[in-house]
Amino acid sequence: MADSALQPGGYVLPEYEFVAPPDLGAPEVRRYPVVIVGAGLSGLALACDLAERGVAAVVLDDDNTIGVRGASSRGIVYAQKTLEMMDRLGIYERIRKKGVVWSVGKTLAGHEVVYEFDASSVSDSRQPPFINLQQFYLEWFMVDRIMEFGRTDLRWKSKVVGYEVLADGARIEVETPAGRYLLEADWVCDCSGVNSFIRDSLRLDTHQARGIDRWCISDVRFKESLPIERWTWVEAPFNDNRAVWQHLMADDVWRLDFQMGPETDIEHVSKPEVAAERVRRQLGEDVEFELVWVGPYSYRAQLIDEFRVGRTLFLGDSAHAMSPFGARGGNSGIQDADNLGWKLALVLSGRASEALIDSYSDERRPAAQFNIMTTRRTARFLQPESPAEKLLRDAAISLAKEYSFARSLCNTGRLSNSFIYGKPPTSRAQKHKVRGVAVGEAVQNVAVELPDGRAGTLVDLFRGGPAFVGLWSHASPDLSGEVIRLANRTVPTLRMLEIGRGALGLSVLGDATGKLGAALGATRGKPTFWLLRPDMHLAARIENPDAAKVRHALCGAIDGRLQSELP
Amino acid sequence: MKTELNFADHDAFYEHLIAAHQGLDEAQSAQLNARLLLLLANQVGDGTVLAACVDAARKPFGPYSPPEA
Repeated sequence: MADSALQPGGYVLPEYEFVAPPDLGAPEVRRYPVVIVGAGLSGLALACDLAERGVAAVVLDDDNTIGVRGASSRGIVYAQKTLEMMDRLGIYERIRKKGVVWSVGKTLAGHEVVYEFDASSVSDSRQPPFINLQQFYLEWFMVDRIMEFGRTDLRWKSKVVGYEVLADGARIEVETPAGRYLLEADWVCDCSGVNSFIRDSLRLDTHQARGIDRWCISDVRFKESLPIERWTWVEAPFNDNRAVWQHLMADDVWRLDFQMGPETDIEHVSKPEVAAERVRRQLGEDVEFELVWVGPYSYRAQLIDEFRVGRTLFLGDSAHAMSPFGARGGNSGIQDADNLGWKLALVLSGRASEALIDSYSDERRPAAQFNIMTTRRTARFLQPESPAEKLLRDAAISLAKEYSFARSLCNTGRLSNSFIYGKPPTSRAQKHKVRGVAVGEAVQNVAVELPDGRAGTLVDLFRGGPAFVGLWSHASPDLSGEVIRLANRTVPTLRMLEIGRGALGLSVLGDATGKLGAALGATRGKPTFWLLRPDMHLAARIENPDAAKVRHALCGAIDGRLQSELP
Repeated sequence: MKTELNFADHDAFYEHLIAAHQGLDEAQSAQLNARLLLLLANQVGDGTVLAACVDAARKPFGPYSPPEA
C-alpha cells in the first residue's frame, strides 16, 4: 500500500500489467454477463459494487493506469453519499486517512467573507460531509479493493474499437497490444467518459452546450498553513476580480483554480512561469511553493435522452457531463453505479425482472438533469453575460455583507448531495416538511448497535449480496407469526430487523443514541415499517404495517417502483 | 423587514430574473428592474416594511432625507 504518489517532479501512478485474455485466438466468441467499459470513477465503482455483491464482471480500459495521463487530478471533492458507499465497499478508512476532511466553506468578494457554511452541523452520518482527495487515489483504492475481491476480470490496455448491438446484448471488438478480439456481453455498462466511443457509435444525441468560461488549475504544495476550508472568491483582487477556488487535497497539495477571461490564450496562461506568477500574486512574494500540476480547462453540458438503450447502459460522463461547480461530476457518476449495481445483481440472479433496470434510467437521468441545472446556475453567477446580470450580482454581494438572505444568493457552487428519487422528484425544500428520511431519499449512515452486539453503522446491514433491509419499530407482538413467515419466504431478498426491542422475534437493532430513530423520523408508540433498498434509499414507509402491506411494497421495489408510484 | 432567507427557491428565482433580462439593452433592463420593484412593493404592501427596505437599499450611498410622515 503506497503512502503517496507524489514524487519530486510530479505524481507517479501505479501501472497495471496487460495480460492476454483467453478470448485472444479462441475459436469461438465468449460471452459474459456484464462488461464494463472504462476504469474511471463510475466504472470502478460499479465493478467494485458488483464484486462486493458477488457478481463477476469484465472491465475494459484503454490505459494501464488510474487517473488521466498528463492530467494528474480531476475530481477532488467526495461527498457524503459517495463516502458512505465507499464504507460499504470497505475502502472508506483508506480514503479518510489519505484525504482531507472538511466541512466549512467560505465565499469571498474582495477581502470580505460574504457567505459561510458549516455542513457538519446537519449530519449524523459516520461519514463527514466532504473529503478532498485527488481522483486517482480513489480510483487506486477501488482497483486494490476489486483485486482483493478477486471476482473481476480487469483488462488493461484494452480499447473498444467496434460495437454491435445484439437483441440480447452486444458484441464488442477490443484492441490490445497482443491483437484484436471479439467478446459478447449480456449487459454492457459504458463508463468510458465524455468522449464515449460506444455512445457515439450508437449515434445518441448528447445535446451538447459548451461553456464560454475558461479556467486554469494550479495545484501547488507549500508549507504555509492555511485554514482547511473551501474558499471561493467571486471576485478575487489578485486575479483581476475574477473567481478563484482554494482547496486542500492529500499530500499537502492545494488546488488553486483561477477563472480566466473568455478570450484568454490558454497556452500562455498554462506556462509554468505564468502559472507561478498567478500563485505568487495570491500567496504573496515570500511564500515558497512547488507547482505540482497546471491544467487549463473549459466545460460543457451534455445529457443523453435515455441511460438505457436495450442492453447498453450509460453511467457517469458518457451519459451526462457538467461544469465542476459543486463537485457533481464524479459524485454523480459514483451514484449512478450505486443505483445500478444492486439492480443488475438482482436481475442477473433471476430475482428481479428487467423492468428494474429501466428504473436506473428513470431515476438517474432526472438526477443528472438536476445537476446540470444546478451547475449552470453557478456558472452563470460566476460569469454574468450582460451588464444587467453583473449589476444584479453586485447588488446581491453588496446586500450579502449585511443581510443573511442575500448570502444565499451568492452562488459559488451548490455542493453535491444525494438525489431524492421519485416522480416527480421531491425537492429539498419540500423535503423539509417530512420528518426524517423521505421516500426516494437515502438514509444517512448513522450509528446503531448491530444484532450481534457490536457497535456499527447502518451501512453494515447492506454488505454482501443485494438485499433490501426492512426495519420495524413499535410493532405489536400479535404480528409476530405473519412477519416471521414473511421473513422466511423473502430470504435472501429482504432482511428484516426490529429497532430497539424484540416484539416480533426478528434480529434486534439497538438505537441507544436515538440517531436511527431521528434519521428515519420514528415516532414513539407509532408502529412503522421502513423498506430500504440496497443503495440505502427509502423505498417505502408504512404506518400501522402488517405482512401484506410489506409484501406489496417489496414487490413494487423489486420492480423498481417506490411507494409513491404504487397503486 | 425580513433579512433571513424567505425564498421558496432562491436559485430558481435568480435564474428566472436573469433570463428576463435577456436581449434587453441597459435602459430596458433598468426599466425592467424599476417595474419589478413596484410590482413587488405592491405585494409587500406594509408601509413600515417598505420604508425599511428603501432605507436598507440606500444605505451604501450615505444618508438622505425621507419624506415627513
